[in-house]
Amino acid sequence: MIWQLDLSILTLIVICAFATIMVKDLLSAAIIFGAYSFLMCLLWTEMGAVDVAFTEASVGAGVSTVLFIAAVYQTTRKVGVRKSGRLLSKAVALVATLLTGLVLLIAEADFPDFANPFTPASLHLSPYYIMQTLHDTNVPNIVTSVLADYRGFDTMFETAVIFTAGLAVIAILRRFKKEDRCDLPEPYVISEAHPDTIIRFIARQLVPFIQLFALYVVAHGHHSPGGGFQGGVIFGASFILLAISYDFKMVLGIMSERWNILLGNIGVLIYAGIGFLCLLLGANFLDYSVLSKVLPATDKIMARSHGMLGIEIGVAIAVLAIVISIYFNIVSRGKYDKGL
Amino acid sequence: MPSIISDYNYWIYILLMMIGLYAMLAKNNLVKKVIGMSIFQTAIIIFYVSISAKEHATIPIIAHHGAAEAAIDVAHYANPLPHVLMLTAIVVSVGTLGVALALCLGIYRRYNSLEEDEIQEQLQ
Repeated sequence: MIWQLDLSILTLIVICAFATIMVKDLLSAAIIFGAYSFLMCLLWTEMGAVDVAFTEASVGAGVSTVLFIAAVYQTTRKVGVRKSGRLLSKAVALVATLLTGLVLLIAEADFPDFANPFTPASLHLSPYYIMQTLHDTNVPNIVTSVLADYRGFDTMFETAVIFTAGLAVIAILRRFKKEDRCDLPEPYVISEAHPDTIIRFIARQLVPFIQLFALYVVAHGHHSPGGGFQGGVIFGASFILLAISYDFKMVLGIMSERWNILLGNIGVLIYAGIGFLCLLLGANFLDYSVLSKVLPATDKIMARSHGMLGIEIGVAIAVLAIVISIYFNIVSRGKYDKGL
Repeated sequence: MPSIISDYNYWIYILLMMIGLYAMLAKNNLVKKVIGMSIFQTAIIIFYVSISAKEHATIPIIAHHGAAEAAIDVAHYANPLPHVLMLTAIVVSVGTLGVALALCLGIYRRYNSLEEDEIQEQLQ
């Protein structure tokens, strides 16, 4: 960790944060926010949090930006000016913000030093994970083993949260009728009027590699940064790329709404099902070591490694389906007729 | 000077958090508020990842080829626990972002506006 590099990236991040709040055009704000996420990703690589950086690169800089652009496309780019009470509300917000910041700064005096290896957070629980992960599970990537094995319950419910978010988006937006409650202008159509051959060709060539890379990220998460969340998001992003560069309908032909929701269910079911399988075999929920009874030629340690791979696949399938579902609902305003 | 080096990460996390909070409170546009919420979330993630950082430490993947397996020095690897918590938090944040944007779209469909004061005018 080099603090000069750290500080310069942090400065750029603060500039991006100011810019994305201040800019008067929502599309620009979305793009600057993408740059902000990418700088975050650099910062985390620099601090040694490679798995977090990978997730931020695929989720924050990739899918979040696309979701913002889709929302802006379906609404409006313009930021209006508040007509009355503008100064008062800004002043009140500024005072509240400054007070909160002051309280946090006072509390900050008690924090342990940055990058000190002997802070309380690094002394009690995490040494066990670092020392034991190879011995217990034969997985060298500690983040994967903590995510999928030691804290498997946590991750299962995180997956359930993603699934619930997908259901919520469908419940809010999905419309089967054609008309809205008020007349909205039709969004500007880009893809049908100007089919761009270069973009379409490059996107078509890229998609197989993106999907192969996503599978690699899921399968190799035990030994390198990556895992189910990142791989699932990258796989979903390949479909989003097709939907943007080609036609919305074409992607619906490959991945229909019905299949998509079914896949989301299957993903969560794989995760919970492996947990229940462990129960049935006579161990605790999500205690993968007992899977050695059913998996051929595995001892208890390798069974934990394979169990982790199983739930990572479940997570990847669920995240893939939910990312696609959220994007499709936002970009077509819930009507599934046409998109960007 | 040592106090600046040991603390600047926390100061910037507080600064970013306040930028996000200000945007959520003061901005009139709903999408701007959502961006403020995302900045707030990333500020908290910076805080957690800063806690996990260790000086002269490497990434939390154990070198397991050859003799390195025998002795594992805990101070040599960054703390993996905050990484796990924040990894899932980022993925959940895209879920909350999706729901927030869906709500914005629903409001736009109903009121044909994303501005807070115009929506309030129509509500009254």
